[in-house]
Amino acid sequence: MALLNIAEPGQSPLPHQIKRAIGIDLGTTNSLVAAVRAGSVDILPDEIGVMMLPSVVNYTDVRRPLVGAGALSLATQHPADTLMSVKRFMGRGSRDAVADAQRSHYHLADGEEGLVRFITSSGERSPVEVSADILRVLHQRALATLGGEIDGAVITVPAYFDEAQRQATKDAATLVGLRVLRLMNEPTAAAVAYGLDAAEQGVIAVYDLGGGTFDISILRLHKGVFEVLAIGGDTALGGDDLDAALAEWVLQHCGSPALAPGQYRQLHAAARAAKERLSDEVAVDLDLTGVLPSGGAVQVTRETFDSLIEPLVKRTLGACRRCLRDAKLDAGIDNIVMVGGSTRVPLVREAVADFFQRRPLVDIDPDQVVALGAAIQADILVGNRSEGDLLLLDVIPLSLGIETMGGLVEKIVPRNTTIPASRAQEFTTYKDGQTALAIHILQGEREMVSDCRSLARFELRSIPPMVAGAARIKVTFQVDADGLLNVSAREEITGAQTSVTVKPSFGLSDDEITAMLQASFSHAVEDKLARQLAEQRVAGWQLLDGLNAALTADGEALLNEEDRTTLATLMIELQALLEGQDTAAIHSLIERLGRQSETFAGRRMDKSIREALAGISLDSLDDEVMQ
Amino acid sequence: MSLPELQKSYFQLFDLPENFALDQAQLGERYRELQKELHPDRYASGSAHEQRLAVQYSALINEAYATLRKALPRALYLLKLAGMSKEDISGQKVDGSFLMAQMDLRENLMMLDETGDPEAALEHFVTEIDVDVKQLHREFSRAFSAGELTSAAGACVKLQYLEKLLEEAEQMESRLIDNQN
Repeated sequence: MALLNIAEPGQSPLPHQIKRAIGIDLGTTNSLVAAVRAGSVDILPDEIGVMMLPSVVNYTDVRRPLVGAGALSLATQHPADTLMSVKRFMGRGSRDAVADAQRSHYHLADGEEGLVRFITSSGERSPVEVSADILRVLHQRALATLGGEIDGAVITVPAYFDEAQRQATKDAATLVGLRVLRLMNEPTAAAVAYGLDAAEQGVIAVYDLGGGTFDISILRLHKGVFEVLAIGGDTALGGDDLDAALAEWVLQHCGSPALAPGQYRQLHAAARAAKERLSDEVAVDLDLTGVLPSGGAVQVTRETFDSLIEPLVKRTLGACRRCLRDAKLDAGIDNIVMVGGSTRVPLVREAVADFFQRRPLVDIDPDQVVALGAAIQADILVGNRSEGDLLLLDVIPLSLGIETMGGLVEKIVPRNTTIPASRAQEFTTYKDGQTALAIHILQGEREMVSDCRSLARFELRSIPPMVAGAARIKVTFQVDADGLLNVSAREEITGAQTSVTVKPSFGLSDDEITAMLQASFSHAVEDKLARQLAEQRVAGWQLLDGLNAALTADGEALLNEEDRTTLATLMIELQALLEGQDTAAIHSLIERLGRQSETFAGRRMDKSIREALAGISLDSLDDEVMQ
Repeated sequence: MSLPELQKSYFQLFDLPENFALDQAQLGERYRELQKELHPDRYASGSAHEQRLAVQYSALINEAYATLRKALPRALYLLKLAGMSKEDISGQKVDGSFLMAQMDLRENLMMLDETGDPEAALEHFVTEIDVDVKQLHREFSRAFSAGELTSAAGACVKLQYLEKLLEEAEQMESRLIDNQN
């Protein structure tokens, strides 16, 4: 009950209890999990001390999927069963994904409703399920290392992930039973990892060349508040493309032989290894064993490699220029943070240093920095740190709007708007006697509906018949702190209304999630029930303690006699229930009491705004006197 | 649940005088203070309806900040507080010479592609528009404080034209960046 306690900083009703929170970087190529322990943040290794988990899952063994390095070693033997870079398919329709799938040699099922599904020896798998298998391993690792249930997780996503891709990521976590505290943009996480040691204020650019995507973010840090000023990037450009450019060159060099999927995988792996070694050496031999029957090797110089990747690096700088323009800075960038293994490539570092006229920061391992930042944010969100420690104000990457006449998109929330955001716009009917209005929600920067991504459609019905243009229909977009959207529409004269939580058709339906959850938990039903009861009891006691403290502080001032009595009656009822075993009853009473105290909480929030303002006025008055 | 009604104007919310001229540093400072209190991250371990409430309050603060931070939305908001409707403002007549000048400017913008150094030409173009924008800001400020709402609204309409032009200039810049790659 943090909200009811806001007027009592430092007065926790419960003894302070450290919660277990983790940060997860669910990467295209590798994934990591990190946590803050005893005040310092670390990557959690597996039982043999390895930090990075390759984001690879093999489904050859029908009894259980194999995740990580073991799966990677089967990639050549079983290319169609070994799913890599699945992040590229998250939240995407099969139509978008065909080209990528062909390049990766996956077999796609004819999906219903455009859903991507891979055909493997163990049956069909969606990208969400594959991601869940990766998350499950990281979750297990955290359970083992931290020694108990995880209270919450922050999962990072590329800043440029759209609504569907974010929802798919959240679905994957739900499948594993992880409580997602927040989806966090990867570049923002990296900035947080640096931010705690860095100067108190300044402008930071984060250059994030991940396996499959490129993101650039510009943030301002000011007295513990991180404000994202602008984000940009390219969803179809990543470190994998650097490997692919080199692989392509090698193929041409060898007279463009036709390769089997396994051989192609091998070539790609060899190209990646060569790329990594070229960061320290000026020339390396690229091993063709397993690629060509003749085997052998090709020499690649750094010069050749640089010329191959230069166009790609230039593309990233174009995105940087646009992002700088969007940020509308008065002065230059103070620091540049590098993220992603490919930022070790010397040409990338030089190009970035040249462009921003600053040496990039590389103190923190570019492969780990995102997970570390996510762990810090998770630690804050779960409530392990004092208030006012660090606050993140992020933005939405792509504009949100609705379809208007003639197939045009009217933007309602423009990109780079700070979240949470709520925007409303009025529309009207265009025909006499029109009683319904179809609302089509879109995401993207282009003007035509056909060039934007369709997120959802719904209808506002029971508009009373009026002449064209007389109805006043207010459409409200609300984007939460995860960047997820809720849209409602209301006819202002009659009050007819409807709303939709945008769940893209590419994701899983709620029923599917429930079914999968049941399947994954069936063996642990009893544990789960016991845990639920324990959780509800803790929640109940917290609510009671919070309300008690709040009533003592402000009950007399902000509530009348009747409201106080209603609350007290419910509180006594809850106290009695907490002694029993009825989880559902406890839950429903907590909800009821929560709703009942909402007005009270709102008034206290108002009061705290007034107090916050009053505090500022005094301070700034002092400043003025000083000057 | 509907948006919480804070019975305050955006200016009162940030404890600022209802003026066009505004202390940006102070605005930013108070914005951050308010978000530190109300952002949903502060209630991440709270109940679902607390989080909903925080989302709504925080969104309102963001909206207020976005409105006051930039000159044109701030000017339009001041007119709204002064009782002018959207129709009142958009109904303002703009003199013919201004419209003619706008058409010329737009034509110039479209022709920038064909100059030897389109980037430099674009920069020059934007700088010139900025001079006009600043002039209109002064005009709005004067008219608004003198209580001449009609002239103030007139300045806003002209600013909207220039804003649109600057948007097109931005799109042009994006195209130039794309073409280089």
